Amino acid sequence: MNQKEFLETILPCKDRLYRLAKRLLVSRDEAEDAVQEVFLKLWKGRDKIKNYKSPEAFAITMTKNYCLDRLKSRQASNLKIVHNNYKNSENIERQVEASEGVELVTKIMKTLPEKQKIIMQLRDIEQFEFAEISQMLEINETTIRVALSRARKVVREQLIKQYNYGIS
Amino acid sequence: MELAKIESVLEAYFDGETSLAEEQILREYFSGTEVAPHLEAYKNLFVGLKNAQQEVSEREVILPEVTTASNRRWWLSIAASVVIVLGGVGLQFSGNSNQLTSEEQQALTEFKKTKETLLLLSKSFNKGTGELTILGEFTIAKNKILK
Repeated sequence: MNQKEFLETILPCKDRLYRLAKRLLVSRDEAEDAVQEVFLKLWKGRDKIKNYKSPEAFAITMTKNYCLDRLKSRQASNLKIVHNNYKNSENIERQVEASEGVELVTKIMKTLPEKQKIIMQLRDIEQFEFAEISQMLEINETTIRVALSRARKVVREQLIKQYNYGIS
Repeated sequence: MELAKIESVLEAYFDGETSLAEEQILREYFSGTEVAPHLEAYKNLFVGLKNAQQEVSEREVILPEVTTASNRRWWLSIAASVVIVLGGVGLQFSGNSNQLTSEEQQALTEFKKTKETLLLLSKSFNKGTGELTILGEFTIAKNKILK
């Protein structure tokens, strides 16, 4: 596989990889770095790409794993305390308060557990079929639906809370 | 689409039971201008998700160059080391066949003389050590008696 073929296969999903990375790593810079790293890894294993039914699914799995690794090493260092604070509901509200309107959704998504975040990203933003997500994450469809339902309900609850707060 | 239908699809959505097509219906409904007042709060959700899809990466990815240039350089270094090794070996052989210069001959005779002197020295040293062994034996005998 030469560079042109490689780019024709992988470049179309670059923005998707970026959005997933950003959903998980939050920072733009880190997300761009992640995309670069994933591209390099894919490029090194470019001869194997053809063996995959969906190169895009493979790239997404790789991005997800890369970001989770980054988060793990970040958590292992000094940001552990900050991270734990997210679980505090009071913090969620304070965070959410700062933004309004359509940006609320992504703000609320930040407070979800990683797995739910990834699933909601792949389904509600990238609009993949459950079968595809199941392949990417190696989780069965029922588990995905359950996690997704939980995530959507948290988002709903927070949205309505904020909405009523805005009205009254 | 009638409101009752939207409401039921919306319920299914939160239970994770909707298809992509149904989710598209919701996105379209909430992007429109005629959203029922009691569903107004969901507008932010579906429009927000739609907006989130617009975000794009702004940095170019850089792939390492894989041209033949690096391969050529690799061969070049092998070739260079072969030349150096061959050159070294050749020099050694040609050096041996040369006639010795007067200076070298002088050095050689000096070396022989030094060797002889050293041999002589070593002989007398050995004589000394021979006596030392005798002395050693004497000590052993003395120790036997004086124990």
